[in-house]
Amino acid sequence: MRNSMFMKYFRAVRTTFEITLRQNFSDAFIIFAVIIQPMIIAILALWMLRERGGDIAIFVIVGSGLTGLWSGLLFISGNSITGERWVGTLEGLVASPTPMPYIVLGKNLANVFQSLISMLASYAIVALLFDLQINVQNPLLFGVSILITVVAFVSFGLLMAALFVINPSFAQFQNGLEFPIYILAGFLFPIALLPGWTTPLSYILAPYWASLALHGSATGASSSSEIAFSWAMMLIFATLYAYISNRLFNVVLRRAKVDATLSMQ
Amino acid sequence: MNAIEVQNLRRVFTTNIGRFRRESKEIVAVEDISFSVGEGELFGLLGPNGAGKTTTVKMLTTLLIPSSGMARVGGYDVEKEAKEISPRIGFIFGGERGLYWRLSAIDNLRYFSSLYHVDPDTSKKRIPELLEMVGLEERGKEKVEGFSRGMKQRLHIARALLHDPEILFLDEPTMGLDPVGARDLRRVVRNLQSEKKTILLTTHYMFEADMLCERIAVINKGQIVALDTPEELKKKVNDLSVIEVEVFGVQDNLLESIRKLDFVDSVSIEDRDQRQVLTVQTPIGSEAISDLMPLFESSRVGKVISREPTLEDAYVRLVGGEG
Repeated sequence: MRNSMFMKYFRAVRTTFEITLRQNFSDAFIIFAVIIQPMIIAILALWMLRERGGDIAIFVIVGSGLTGLWSGLLFISGNSITGERWVGTLEGLVASPTPMPYIVLGKNLANVFQSLISMLASYAIVALLFDLQINVQNPLLFGVSILITVVAFVSFGLLMAALFVINPSFAQFQNGLEFPIYILAGFLFPIALLPGWTTPLSYILAPYWASLALHGSATGASSSSEIAFSWAMMLIFATLYAYISNRLFNVVLRRAKVDATLSMQ
Repeated sequence: MNAIEVQNLRRVFTTNIGRFRRESKEIVAVEDISFSVGEGELFGLLGPNGAGKTTTVKMLTTLLIPSSGMARVGGYDVEKEAKEISPRIGFIFGGERGLYWRLSAIDNLRYFSSLYHVDPDTSKKRIPELLEMVGLEERGKEKVEGFSRGMKQRLHIARALLHDPEILFLDEPTMGLDPVGARDLRRVVRNLQSEKKTILLTTHYMFEADMLCERIAVINKGQIVALDTPEELKKKVNDLSVIEVEVFGVQDNLLESIRKLDFVDSVSIEDRDQRQVLTVQTPIGSEAISDLMPLFESSRVGKVISREPTLEDAYVRLVGGEG
């Protein structure tokens, strides 16, 4: 019984993943935000830092890939529920036997997966344009870091989707949130360059720990224990975000049924 | 056991008005309604726009929480046991929204069938069957954005039937469709009826309710004003005759003047292309024509007929000429 339920939910998440990817690939804004923009950032950053040679290249590629991940999370995952409301499909999803968090999970997985493609694209384009040998120093640690980053970003996306519904004014700051997180999470340069008072803000962001683990394993600048610590932090935050978002989803959906906001009137 | 059981159901919406001194205003959309729908019955909720039909359906489909009262669908409480209800019901709301336009019809159905936990083998078999049933078998691979309104409505029906639900809620399914599209859709509803599905249909088209429904609840201003078979509802106006006057341009105060006449039971007006048709219900039959005509002196009058009442006339009488 439990196994059959698991398979039903698994199929629902898998189909949501596939359907979301298909829709995303036919949306010019999404293609630009999560694939083209990170490539532009990678090319510009590397152009500015080209004299520092191949060592900096992998840092820039990973960093620009993370910008794509964050933009995807902010603009697509954050709107997972509100977007469905706009197109009139939210009622159909809420009324289905699949709980909403599973649907948002499938959507977020697709968004994160799509954003990772931008990292690969940046890798290829930078290698071609700048004729650089780009090596990941610790491929095993890097691979595990990617996997844990996916978990952390997906659960962060769940939290954002719930928050965007609870407080629509939060969504108005979407554009304003894009670049501060690039900086606070240390995607393109270390947070040591920032004023000290911003450091606690970085520490509560899973993207910061993802950035630390991915940069550290790609450039070889961090020890295994430092990277493992970043993994642990990502997993702790992922669990926390998932727990809070699951509680929020129940509140949000009940409130929407009371306030009659599941559909546009 | 009844498939749908509604007792003293009430729904109030609160809106805020004013920019600086905000005030809350309560609007009662559904006021203390009670009815039941038997298993396999096709039950109609008939009423003018804003009568509370959609609000009622949304409460029964667990998408709105009632303000008070009780509603059970398939034996389960709509508020406390929503999870039990969702696999047992299908619904469509009138209009084009609710589908993924950038996906094909097949992908839309495939997605919803996974959300409704239809196993993949059944889904592979069922999707082509449903597309054929709604007449979209040739268009399944096309993106929905290229579909006409009628095609989208039919796709909605297919979507609602994916998991073979026992109970269907069809909220204004033919709204905005051309006559051919509406006729096709009514044919689909009749087929579903023959499969012994319980169907709750809302509409403001009288002939549609008359043609399809076994029983009809007439709802107006959130309250059920009559509940009976179409035949019994028609009997409610047996004592009346109907006079239709075709007019080209109606004076502002004409309707009020007619309504004040002591032999007039109710009066309504309907636009038909360049003309309007005034429908007057009266107990004195065609004798009323001679008394009515002086009021039309300053208007251009076309055909004037006296006829027997229909379900539409019963409806007009029940909702006070607001249809």
